[in-house]
Amino acid sequence: MLPLAHVGHYLWTLYVLPVLIVAVAIVRSMLAQRRAAGDGEER
Amino acid sequence: MSFLPLAHALASRQDLPIPAWLFAWAASIVLIVSFFALSAAWREPKLEDEHRRPLEERLSAVLLGLPLQVLCGAVGVFLLGVAVYAGLRGTEAPDRNFALTFLFVTCWLGFPLFSAVLGDLFRAFNPWRAIGRTVGAGFAAIARQRPAHLPYPERLGRWPAAFGLLGVVWLEVIYGAGGIGIEPHATAVAALVYSAYTLAMMAVFGVETWCERGEIFSVYFGMFGRLGIFGSSEGRLQRRRFLSATTSWATIPGSVAVVIASIASTSFDGGQEGAFKAPLESVVGWFADAGLGPTGSLRWGETLFMLACFAGVGLVYLLGVRGMRTVPGAPSLDRLRVGFGHTLIPIALAYLVAHYFSFFVFQEQAQFGFLLSDPLGTGTTDLFGTASLEVDYSVLSANTIWYVQVAALVIGHVVGLMLAHDRALVYWPDYRKATASQYWMLAVMVAFTCFGLYLLSVSNG
Repeated sequence: MLPLAHVGHYLWTLYVLPVLIVAVAIVRSMLAQRRAAGDGEER
Repeated sequence: MSFLPLAHALASRQDLPIPAWLFAWAASIVLIVSFFALSAAWREPKLEDEHRRPLEERLSAVLLGLPLQVLCGAVGVFLLGVAVYAGLRGTEAPDRNFALTFLFVTCWLGFPLFSAVLGDLFRAFNPWRAIGRTVGAGFAAIARQRPAHLPYPERLGRWPAAFGLLGVVWLEVIYGAGGIGIEPHATAVAALVYSAYTLAMMAVFGVETWCERGEIFSVYFGMFGRLGIFGSSEGRLQRRRFLSATTSWATIPGSVAVVIASIASTSFDGGQEGAFKAPLESVVGWFADAGLGPTGSLRWGETLFMLACFAGVGLVYLLGVRGMRTVPGAPSLDRLRVGFGHTLIPIALAYLVAHYFSFFVFQEQAQFGFLLSDPLGTGTTDLFGTASLEVDYSVLSANTIWYVQVAALVIGHVVGLMLAHDRALVYWPDYRKATASQYWMLAVMVAFTCFGLYLLSVSNG
């Protein structure tokens, strides 16, 4: 028997994931832009 | 909307082809695709100018003329009177008394829905505005001078309406015997107290000033009216570009708090019987352990949760605005906070539709059926021969309700993105920077969409 009796309590994580994915994508793209801008200044 | 045991009024459990959470993922993808489509195709602000076009003069003369204004105002006063009388004299059974359904369903939900399409309808039917204007005109005729008013404190802005909005929802959802909802008698008394307060404020600050800033219902319904395509200016009815009237709405202080209060109160009402139920019970338990009675514990616990919803929604919005500040050339934080406030209006409407659509459809059958013929709910009158009609819950299936809810949330948030993108182009004329600034609003919209769908999925389940 799998211990899944209360798995429904964690269903909210499936609703949070899209938000996290978007937030991480934004932060990553911002960091990449800053790095690119920094590289441009060094040259 | 807890005065009836049908908060979201599902006829049966859903039988969806895919799990509910997958709708949140699909909705997020729709938002992301819409975001990039907007970035590619929308490179100049289009909504800052309302592009007003006057309607035919005769039509304006009839619709804005004094006879129709008097008639609409009289209808508003009459219906408020009927609701108060029904509340004071009618049955205490909430689902059988005209007062609760009329005030909290037909007006509270009906005006936002219809105003969003047609423009600010409530202005014509506002009973307090009608009384205030009549008294003002009478005073002017007798004293031969216009009534003098105090200048309205600009910093106060729409804050009285924002707090009032939370107060109305608190009264409806939290106050009441045992914390389960408000009774018709208490509703009628609240309506009378509010009428006295509103008329006093109108006397002090002027009818139109108070309606524009402090009168809860005028501000709230007027906010949704900005989405509509019809407005009036200089005594003439005008057609305007869809959504364009929203862009100037949030400039008055406190406006952002009004729209956040709207989203927060709907979220609280949607979550209290579902997603928030377990933590709410814990908080209520703490208050009970601290020595408060059952009603007091429930009221305090729910009040705390409603305020937490307000703070949470406000925080998500502020995070989005704060993120925009990182883009070069960004205006001040204050300007961004006010400048993007109107982008939440379609979301507030989407939340309303998603949470109350089925409730509205079912309760309006009661409103125009047995409640109209027997407003006191005593079973002794049948004014229009419809007193024996009942609500037909089979008119909407559970799946239809869910699809309407998902569609409302997705459309509302896509419209919010459109408004935010358009405003960003004003602050960052370079469309690349404008797009970069809107990454954060995209995150806000995805967060609100997923949160809304989560609340609904738990409530429906």
